Amino acid sequence: MNAIVSLKNATKSYLLGKVAVPALCGVSLDVQAGEFLSIAGPSGSGKTTLLNLVGCVDTPTSGTVEVAGHNTAQLSERELTRLRLHTIGFIFQSFNLVGVLDVYRNVELPLLLQGRLSGSERQKRIVALLDRVGLREHTRHRPNELSGGQRQRVAIARALVTRPSLVLADEPTANLDSVTGQNILDLMKELNRTEKTTFIFSTHDARVMSHASSIVRLADGRLAASAHSDAASQAELAELEPMQTGERLPRKRVGGTS
Amino acid sequence: MRAVIDTFGVVAQLAFRNLWASGSKTLIFGGIIGFGAFLVVLGTSLLDSVDRAMSRSVVDSVAGNVQVFSSSSTEDVDVMSGFAFDPNAIDPLTDFAKVKATVESVPNVKSVVPMGINESLVVSGNTIDQALAGLRKLVNERQRQGPSPEHDVAYAAAKERVRQIIGVLSSDIENTKKFQTDSSLPPDELSSVARAGSPEFWAAFDRDPLGALEFLENRIAPLATDADVLFLRYLGTDPGAFARSFKRMTIVAGEPIPEGQRGFLFSSYVYEEQVKLETARDLDRIRQGRSSRGVTIATDPELARMAREAPKQVKDLLLQLDAPKSALFRSKLQSFLHSDETDVGKLLESFLVLTDQTFDERYDFFYRELAPMLALYRVPVGDTLTIKAFTRSGYIQSTTLEVYGVFAFEGLETSPQAGALNLMDMVSFRELYGFMTDERQKEIAALRANSGAKDVTREDAEAELFGSSTPTARADAQAEMPPDLTRELSGIAAGRRTDETSKDRAYDPAQLEQGVILNAAVLLEDERRLDETIAAIEAAGERDGLPLRAISWQKAAGLIGQFAVLMRVVLYTAVLIIFLVALVIINNALVMATLERVREIGTLRAVGAQQRFILAMLVLESIMVGLTFGIVGALIGGAAVEVLGEMGIPALNAVSTFFFSGPRLYPAFGLPNLIVGLVVVLIVSIVSSLYPAWIAMRISPREAMQAED
Repeated sequence: MNAIVSLKNATKSYLLGKVAVPALCGVSLDVQAGEFLSIAGPSGSGKTTLLNLVGCVDTPTSGTVEVAGHNTAQLSERELTRLRLHTIGFIFQSFNLVGVLDVYRNVELPLLLQGRLSGSERQKRIVALLDRVGLREHTRHRPNELSGGQRQRVAIARALVTRPSLVLADEPTANLDSVTGQNILDLMKELNRTEKTTFIFSTHDARVMSHASSIVRLADGRLAASAHSDAASQAELAELEPMQTGERLPRKRVGGTS
Repeated sequence: MRAVIDTFGVVAQLAFRNLWASGSKTLIFGGIIGFGAFLVVLGTSLLDSVDRAMSRSVVDSVAGNVQVFSSSSTEDVDVMSGFAFDPNAIDPLTDFAKVKATVESVPNVKSVVPMGINESLVVSGNTIDQALAGLRKLVNERQRQGPSPEHDVAYAAAKERVRQIIGVLSSDIENTKKFQTDSSLPPDELSSVARAGSPEFWAAFDRDPLGALEFLENRIAPLATDADVLFLRYLGTDPGAFARSFKRMTIVAGEPIPEGQRGFLFSSYVYEEQVKLETARDLDRIRQGRSSRGVTIATDPELARMAREAPKQVKDLLLQLDAPKSALFRSKLQSFLHSDETDVGKLLESFLVLTDQTFDERYDFFYRELAPMLALYRVPVGDTLTIKAFTRSGYIQSTTLEVYGVFAFEGLETSPQAGALNLMDMVSFRELYGFMTDERQKEIAALRANSGAKDVTREDAEAELFGSSTPTARADAQAEMPPDLTRELSGIAAGRRTDETSKDRAYDPAQLEQGVILNAAVLLEDERRLDETIAAIEAAGERDGLPLRAISWQKAAGLIGQFAVLMRVVLYTAVLIIFLVALVIINNALVMATLERVREIGTLRAVGAQQRFILAMLVLESIMVGLTFGIVGALIGGAAVEVLGEMGIPALNAVSTFFFSGPRLYPAFGLPNLIVGLVVVLIVSIVSSLYPAWIAMRISPREAMQAED
C-alpha cells in the first residue's frame, strides 16, 4: 500500500461552550502518493478540518490519521511541527505570505527553518522555483506589490521549496478571478505531474474540481462520495462545468467509507 | 551551528522588518525605553558626579580618605555632623608617634595627620568691656606717670567714648521699655544707668577714677547685651601637616599658624557667619541672594526678613563709634541721604531701610565709606581668643590663643559642612582636652613638691588614713597619678596662667608628634584601594598592639557620607517606578501587536516554525527596539551630561556647594553610566516581551487556515 495519507474513522469535535460539536465524523480515506485530490463540499462540511488533520496542525479526537507513515496522535507538538516542515507544504486561501519579507525571503523561509542547505544551495533552488512559477523578475518585491495570482505563485513556491511529499491547499483559488485561478491550477497540476508531489486541495468550485484526479466529497463532516477523474470523461466534465455544483454528481468511489 | 546562525538571521530579519511594519507601536515602545535610558544615564551620571564631588569635599576637608581612632571608642568618629557628635565617645590614643609609625607602615598610605575634635563656648568681649579696659589702662598710666598733653587728649577721648556707649545703652533701654509693659530691668539698675549718664558723674570722675570705673564695670557693663557667645567646634592638629595634606586649604586672611606656635585659625564660614558684624553679614547675604540666586527683597521672604532686621541692628554700629567717627558718619550719611537729620542713629536707620531699588548703591556706600571705620569682625585677625572647654572629666579648662588668620577649603568657602571646624595646634588642643605637656607635668610636680602634698590614690586612701605598712610615697607617683586629679591640677595651673598670651608659650614642634590624639586622617596614594587599605591599617594596628579602628571617609562623614547612598536609593526607586509603568504600557502595546499578527504567526507555525522560534522572534524584536531606542536615549542623556559638564550646574545654596565640591558641578559622562542604562533597558525589553511572546507561542497553526475576515 502506497498511501501517503491514511485516515481511519477519524473524528474531530470542537467544544462550543460545553457542547462538543462534531466537525468531522468517522472519515476513512487513503490518499495515494502522486494524487491530485480535491476535497469538495459546501461551507461547514468539514473540508478545513480534514485538511487540518492531514496537515498535522490538528490531531483527531478519535480514530487515526497517518501522514507519511506517522500516526499524528502519537506525535508531540514539536514532532508535528517537524513533520510539517519536512513533509508537507501549505498553500492558503489568503496566500498568508509574510508581509515584511520580500518574495525571495518568503520562499526561503522554510529552508531556513530546516537549516539543511547552504546559502548557495538555497539560492539555486529558490531561483529555479521562482523561474518555474514565473516570478523570476519579482524576487525583491514585497507581497503587497504583487497581484493576487502572483502572490499565490509565491505561496506555491514556498510550499514546494522543501520538496515535500505532500502539498495541502485550502481553497487556493477562492480569492482569485477565474482566469488567474485557472493558471494557478494549471501550475499546480504541472508540478504534480513533473515533481510527483501529492496535492490535496479543498474547493467548492466545480471547475477547480475538474482538474482533480480524484474527488472526495464532504457533507456535514461525513464522506459523501469520491471519484477518480482519470475515469471521468471530458464529456462528463464539460457537462459538469455549467452546473457549478459538482458535489451532487455521482462519482466513482476510491477510498473506503465507513 | 550554521543552522543556528541562519535561523537567527531569519529571526532577526523578521523582527527587524516587523518593527518597521508596526511603526506607531514601535514608537511608543521605543519612546518610553529611550526616555528611560535617557533618565538612567542622566541620573546616574549626575549622581556619580555628585558622589565624586562630595567625596572630594569630604576627603579634602578634614576627613581624609580614612579616619583612624581607638577601637575602644563607643562611637565612630564623625567629622561632619556638628554638635550631634559627642567627642567624648572617642577614646584617646596616647601616642601619636606610634600610631603614625604603624599606619605609615601600610603600603598606599601617603600621610597621617593627627587630630582631635572638641567644642567650646567662647565669649567674645563686648564693646563696653573693651572701652572700659582702655580707659582703665589710661587711668593706670596717668596715676603712674602723671598727666601730659598728648595723654590728656587720649584720656578725654576714652572718657567720651565710654559716655557715648552709656548714651546708646540708655536710649536702648528706653526703647525696650516702650515695647515691654513690665520693664525687665529692676529700678536700681535704671537708676545706675541714669547716674552713669549724668553730667555730675563725669564731672566727679577725675576725683576717683578707679572708684568710678569700678562702678561702671560692675553695674553698667553687665547690662550691655552685645557680647557674643560663640559656639566653636575646633580641630586640634599639626597645622603644618594639615596644610600639606589638605591641599585645598587656603588662608583667606592673616597667616598660617607659625611652626611651634600656639594659635587659632577661624574657618572662613564660621568667621563670616558668626563673627562678622550682623549688619555687614546681612548686606552680604542679601547681595548674594540677589546676584547668584536671582531673587529680590520684594519676593524672597528670607531677604525681606533680613532687610527688615537691618535697621534694628543700628545699635551694634553706634557702639563702635567714638566722637570723631560719629561726626564723620553724620556728614557722610547726611550727604548720601540728602538729609538734615543730625542723629547718627536715625541716619543709620534710614540708610539701612533696604529696597531692591536702593540696595546696590547702599551696599557699595556701606563698604566704601562706612566699613573702613568699623571693626567688621568681633574678633579681628591678630587678636586673642580665650577658649574654655570641658575636659574629658568635666573640668573647665581654658587657654588663650592668638587668632593668626582665617582659612577655607578652596571652592567650599561658603559650605557649612566643610567649614564647621576651626583649627588650633594639637598642643593647645591637648591642654584643653585635659592632657598635659611635659612642661606642664614638671610644673605640677614642682607645685606638689612645694606644697608637700602626698600622692594618694583612691585605692590607697584607706591605708593612708588609718595607717598601714604599705609604703605610699612612691618615686614614680607622678606617672601613676589618677588622671582626674592630674587634670584638676593642670586646670589650676592653667587658671593661673590665663594672662599669658599664646605667643609666650611656644612649643617644640616635636611635641606635635608625641602625645595624645583622638583620631587621625589618613591620605592615600591610590584612593581606589580604599577598602583593602582600611583592612591593612587595622591589621597593622593589631600587629603592633595598637587598638586601631579605621573607617572610610563615607562613614567618617556621618549622615552626609550616607547622602549619596540615599540619593542613589531615591533615584533607583524612581527609575524602578518609571520602568514598572513602562513595563505595563509596553506589555500592553506588545500584546496588541501580537494579536494583530495571529495569522502571520499561525502561518509561520504551519510552515514549520517551532514555538521557540516564535518566542525568540518576539523577544528579539523587543530587544532590538529596546537597544536601538535605548542607545539613542542614552546618547542623548550622555550629550545632556556633556552639555551640563561644559556649562556647569550652579550650586544654589551653601549646602549644594558642599555636594558639588565648589560653586559649580561639572558632571561627566562615564562608560559605566552607559552600560547601566543599556543593561536596564535590555532587562526591561526582555521582561516586557515575555508575556506577549508567551501568548504568541501558543497561537495555533490552525489560525493560518482560517479564512480572512
